Amino acid sequence: MPASATLRPEIQFATLEQQGDAAQLGMWVFLVNETLFFGALIFTYFIYRISYPHEFAVAAKDAVLWCGSVNLAILLTSSLTMVLAINAGAQGERRAMKRWLLVTVALGCAFLLIKGFEYYQDFQDRVVPVVNFATKPGEGNAGELFWVFYWVATGLHAIHLTIGIGLVLYMLWRIRRGEITPAYYAPLEVVGIYWSFVDTVWLFLYPCIYLVGRS
Amino acid sequence: MTIGPEIHPRRARPLPFVIAWLVMLALAAISLITAFLGLGHWAPVVQFGIAALQTSVLFILFMRLKGPPSLKWVFAISGFLWLSFLYGLSMTDYSNRRGWPPLYTTSGPGFEAHQNGP
Amino acid sequence: MSTTTLERMPAAEPGAEAGPSYLTSEHTVTSWLFTRDHKRIALLFFASITFFFFIGGFAATLIRLNLATPEGLLQPAVYNRMFTMHGVIMVWFFLIPSIPTTFGNFFVPLMIGARDLAFPRLNLGSWYVFNLSGLVVLYSLVMGGADTGWTFYTPLSTSYANGYVFAAAMAVFINGFSSIMTSLNFIVTIHCMRAPGMTWMRLPLFVWGIYAVSVVMLTATPVLAMDTFLLAVERLMGIGLFDPNHGGDPLLWQHMFWFYSHPAVYIMILPAMGVVSEIIPCYARRPIFGYAGMTMALMAIAILSFFVWAHHMFVAGISVYAGVVFSLMTFFVAVPSAIKVFNWTVSLHKGRISFDAPMLYALSFVLLFTLGGVTGLMLATLGIDVDVHGTYFVVAHFHYIMVGATVSAFFGALHYWWPKLTGRLYPEIWARFAAILTYVGFNLTFFPQFILGYLGMPRRSYTYPAEWEPWNLLSSAGASILAVAYLLPLFYLGWSLFWGRKASANPWRATGLEWATSSPPPKHNFERTPTVTLAPYCYDPQRDTYVTQEGVPHAG
Repeated sequence: MPASATLRPEIQFATLEQQGDAAQLGMWVFLVNETLFFGALIFTYFIYRISYPHEFAVAAKDAVLWCGSVNLAILLTSSLTMVLAINAGAQGERRAMKRWLLVTVALGCAFLLIKGFEYYQDFQDRVVPVVNFATKPGEGNAGELFWVFYWVATGLHAIHLTIGIGLVLYMLWRIRRGEITPAYYAPLEVVGIYWSFVDTVWLFLYPCIYLVGRS
Repeated sequence: MTIGPEIHPRRARPLPFVIAWLVMLALAAISLITAFLGLGHWAPVVQFGIAALQTSVLFILFMRLKGPPSLKWVFAISGFLWLSFLYGLSMTDYSNRRGWPPLYTTSGPGFEAHQNGP
Repeated sequence: MSTTTLERMPAAEPGAEAGPSYLTSEHTVTSWLFTRDHKRIALLFFASITFFFFIGGFAATLIRLNLATPEGLLQPAVYNRMFTMHGVIMVWFFLIPSIPTTFGNFFVPLMIGARDLAFPRLNLGSWYVFNLSGLVVLYSLVMGGADTGWTFYTPLSTSYANGYVFAAAMAVFINGFSSIMTSLNFIVTIHCMRAPGMTWMRLPLFVWGIYAVSVVMLTATPVLAMDTFLLAVERLMGIGLFDPNHGGDPLLWQHMFWFYSHPAVYIMILPAMGVVSEIIPCYARRPIFGYAGMTMALMAIAILSFFVWAHHMFVAGISVYAGVVFSLMTFFVAVPSAIKVFNWTVSLHKGRISFDAPMLYALSFVLLFTLGGVTGLMLATLGIDVDVHGTYFVVAHFHYIMVGATVSAFFGALHYWWPKLTGRLYPEIWARFAAILTYVGFNLTFFPQFILGYLGMPRRSYTYPAEWEPWNLLSSAGASILAVAYLLPLFYLGWSLFWGRKASANPWRATGLEWATSSPPPKHNFERTPTVTLAPYCYDPQRDTYVTQEGVPHAG
């Protein structure tokens, strides 16, 4: 581990601790932005759901509940494996850290696979606005608003998840170069914060999409 | 100045995190079940409340909100605070606008799509 | 104050720096395009926004030429695209980035005693993202432009408008990320990287202004990003969340748009307020009055600005109750602004005032901002707004703030910090002339528009009834004077780069940390990290002395 001996803060920082604190703070500041971005989208959902409760209840029946629920469990588990990876890294257990990071990537990819299958199922169910949409009886014209929200929200979420997977792979590459050590593992923590935030978004999208009108 | 493991001390025992994970899975299951219980207007309240609870666990424990620097709390809360401005003040309009929600939504033509662009 | 004369010019002021500075330390193009130095990035941004200022200004020229007579100059459809592109470019490609990305980038690290911002590569990335968005908006412009107004209201923008709306909306979407990157950088920097002794209540008000604007940028921009994204989806797909045919609400688009765009106007004014708070103490040689009140006013404006957005929608169809709530909130947000105007005014009392160019711009700011602010209160009054919404009264109001106030502050900052940026002094006589010409030209251009608005002239209209021609002609004539006033600095500032007197570290005898290093500064700002012991603006007008923030006293 020769890298840890030569690890220095960047020129604008006095200590590595300051650099690590700034990195963490920077990610939390970025999450304010993400919260408002997805929050604004959910705001449109909120307005339309309280305005068209019946139409949304009918439209949402076609949401594939098992896909959404399994994906929720996958993402929650991936947050766990991410934290276990960071803990291992903090203790210097490189093998365990890499192992848990790879599991996190695998879980992320599993999410995307199931999402892809769900999209295929959605196409079969004819809930793709413009491309292949059939108005179901009882959902009126407002039902299509639910599905516009669904595609925009899950699409943006999937993009963010893909970026997260890329970031974890980037961390694996930096670990290989010896840049993540018990002395300084702030980059890994920062990626972990981002990852768990992507999980948080799904926590809110889940009741929006999958738990409407089931009774 | 020392560089060492005392920077960002992390309690590394996995057990608290595994327990938190199990709790979040249980909450998710409860949320799922409430969808079938016929709670009417209260269902989304319970479900989003559970989501908020799970988010708190994620933020505080998994995303290390309770570690240093403590300034993180301000930013963690700010996003949601600002959303409350958007949601809350917009409701002054939507809650009592005459003609909202519209009684009828029409479907059908009557306009020509735009001609050049996008 | 130092002045130059054209005849006898010593080569350099006593104390002018002779060693390598951030400008001269490296010479290659790549050392500029891949720099991490916040000072160089500030100049890169300066080049970009100046370019867009002239493009937006060209559109304004065509608008005023068209409106000089009722017969006009442009085809109506072309006129619509002109005012749209003028708005889009001036708002997102000049005003919003202007002071933060140039003076903010350059001076925040210097003023807090740091060597750079927290994330230098993010800073450079912000510039590249800005330019990418600029390319997209130029594409939109060159292909014919959008004609929806800079406000892109649906369903015109999503369904009916012919024009390059998608490109313009995407340009705004991408531009938002540049704002977010910059604001994130400032927030973390100001929290984490202040020099020893630089407590929050010793920060210069310019830094407070940048902090406040960063909070607003961070929290408002993502909502616009989502709104423009949804607009683009709806335009591209033909169906979206705002389509009335499916029960969508066009006002929902407006709610989200104005949730950003009202705070956006405060994004445009907060850094300008910070600049004025730097200039007035220096040229009145006395401390600012009510420093703590000024900091609280900045933060209050930043937060209250989020409670007032629907005052842009009073006659759009929102409920009357919402109108009352937002009108009340708008009256509240005026209070901290008024406190600042009072404090700037009192900051002149018993001062030792000199009317150098930066001070002339700062005083212009206070006067024009006051008039703009008071007319804003008039617009906040529901009864008045019903009459003047959508007329030139509104146009005059916001130009008083955005052009009269913000652009004056921008030029004030440019002159005040010119020696620090370039190491040169500008010719004072020309600068004062330009400042006064700006004030005269500006009022001649925009005051008649208040009258036109009250008479009922609608905005965004390529022609008007003949009886309004005298006021319109006056406004266009004023615009020609304003154009000269804005072009003049190009010449004398450009001249000063080659033949101006070299500046010492602190030609204006100011107290901030940025004046403790050479003009221009070396690459890493300070030879040793400063230690701060005093609040800013420790000027003594009676004895004409001052003490820097490091506690170093200076005689007159």
